[in-house]
Amino acid sequence: MTSPLLRALRIARRFGEVEALAVTDFELLPGESVALVGPNGAGKSTLLAILAGALEPSEGSVETHARIGWVPQRPAHYGRLSARENLELFARLEGERDPGRRARDLIERFSLPAGERPSSELSVGNRQRLNVALSLLGDPRVLLLDEPTAALDPGQRRRVWEVVTALRGEGGAICFATQNLEEVGHADRVLVLQDGRVTSSSIDEVFA
Amino acid sequence: MTAVLLLLRKDLRVLRRSPVILGALLAYPIVIALLVGLVAGYASAKPRVAFVDEDHLPNVVAVGGHRFHIQTVIDDVAKQVTLVRLSPREAARQLADGKVVATITVPPGFLGDLQTTVRSPSLILQTGSGGLSPRVTEQVQALVYQLNGKLQVGYISANLVFVRLLLHGGEGSFLGRHFNVLGLERTQAELAKLPQNKRVDAIAHFVRVARAGLAQTGAALKATANPITLRQAKTHGRTWLLSAQVQSYGIALTVTFLALLLAAGAAAAEHDEGTIGRLRRGLVSLSELVWAKIALAAVVGLALGGAIAIVFGIVVESGGITGGEPWSRLPLLLAGVVLAAAVVGAAGTLLGALAREARTASLLAVLVVLPVVFLGLVPRGALGLAYWVSLFLPFAHAYRLFDAALYSTHPWHTVAVEGAWLLGLGLAFGGLARRAVRTLSA
Repeated sequence: MTSPLLRALRIARRFGEVEALAVTDFELLPGESVALVGPNGAGKSTLLAILAGALEPSEGSVETHARIGWVPQRPAHYGRLSARENLELFARLEGERDPGRRARDLIERFSLPAGERPSSELSVGNRQRLNVALSLLGDPRVLLLDEPTAALDPGQRRRVWEVVTALRGEGGAICFATQNLEEVGHADRVLVLQDGRVTSSSIDEVFA
Repeated sequence: MTAVLLLLRKDLRVLRRSPVILGALLAYPIVIALLVGLVAGYASAKPRVAFVDEDHLPNVVAVGGHRFHIQTVIDDVAKQVTLVRLSPREAARQLADGKVVATITVPPGFLGDLQTTVRSPSLILQTGSGGLSPRVTEQVQALVYQLNGKLQVGYISANLVFVRLLLHGGEGSFLGRHFNVLGLERTQAELAKLPQNKRVDAIAHFVRVARAGLAQTGAALKATANPITLRQAKTHGRTWLLSAQVQSYGIALTVTFLALLLAAGAAAAEHDEGTIGRLRRGLVSLSELVWAKIALAAVVGLALGGAIAIVFGIVVESGGITGGEPWSRLPLLLAGVVLAAAVVGAAGTLLGALAREARTASLLAVLVVLPVVFLGLVPRGALGLAYWVSLFLPFAHAYRLFDAALYSTHPWHTVAVEGAWLLGLGLAFGGLARRAVRTLSA
């Protein structure tokens, strides 16, 4: 039996009195693609943030031996730095051997502006592409994406999915949250969340 | 350590690209320092005191043969207060309204008593009930002291006229009575003409002793009037602006303001930009994140505090001003600046983490920094509670450390004590900041 790249055991998260995510188990196997579907406030972003290690669970634990890349729902980079500077900074923090070269590669791959323009002045689409590019630093085997194509035009969406699919083909795994039902086709498995819980309801039922 | 340096470099780059924020951060503490200076200057301004002349003093008064121009005397002695000539009624009204803080009244008969040189006339001082009353009383006492200093010259001269009369003889007058006296010199001469016997010898001996004694009267009278005199030597002293206190306050205020705002803003910005989540995924530990903000505060504090210290040092050096150790103590001062800025930076990081948004953090930091500074300015004796509260805030310790580092002959005890306080506060704020930063990514 193949061992999972990522395993979450009985994780849950509360914000004060609000239960954002009820007790949940989760596994991600090599080569697998999992879609998280559900309405706003269902707990998708919370689950992904906990799996990525960006948010501590109120209970339970996450086990992984793989490097994880994370695309948060809201672009997370320094607005006063250019795309290149952001990529170089995070490449250094990830321990990349040649941060400058890695940044140039990703700028080319995602067609990002190569100039010194602050990233806060970039278009929404460029910022989102930079957000995705940052998640690829450190050569992750697991990619966790929170509505990665929400602000992108069809061409940009296709390019993002090409990159993500390539990772999956190399034995990696992806888990993505989406409200775009067309994108569910990229997944082997779909988890439907509602009110912080994984539910057995169908997609049509939760969006009804 | 690498992560801390990377984040520090990033924060410095971000700061360099925010000229408006950088300008405001540099200008604001200077403006505050100037305002504090203005307030301090106003506090030492001359109070307005009414001068009521009920004796109708003439423009020129002669005392003991010396002539005094009243207005010149008033101008000369009124360096401590602003004397305003008012009628008795107007003076009473303005005292009641608080427009003058005191009235000095020259009562009827004052000049007559003064000119007798044997009776001491009185001035009448009436003060309001405001907080300035003790100070005004002291200043009027100083004014009367100075007046007495000027008048005693006339009094001594008048007394010496009589002494000279006793010594040399001649015509004189006292309290309107005219007389002619023989004088000791002539008495001695007359005694020499008489047949010598024991009685004449005894009188001649007395006359010799009396002449010798009276010859010293001038010096004795001056010494009696002024047992101790104070001579003020002219030196290249520090002006108010270059005083040790202002310099230390200036550096402490600038460092406190900058470090608190920068660290608070930088910490909250990690949440605003969403990068805290990315960093916390094993890239940067909570401690490293807090250290990065502390390092930012320390580096910027060192740059600006050092610049201020160097400017002061150059001014002091070029002005040939004595006192203080502008250059030899610079390393000690800069070490203190780094420590103080780091401690304030830890407090700022705590504020930023609690505020969670850069704008809120900046506002909170401004709201916090002013009481922190003003509590540190309260002297120990003025308000005990304020002093005790300020002990647990870094500003007062930073100020005392800078003051000792720059001007104390033996600074090490103060530096050690205040340094230990700062270190303890830094550990406490740093620990709290680490806990608060944990909640930033939530």
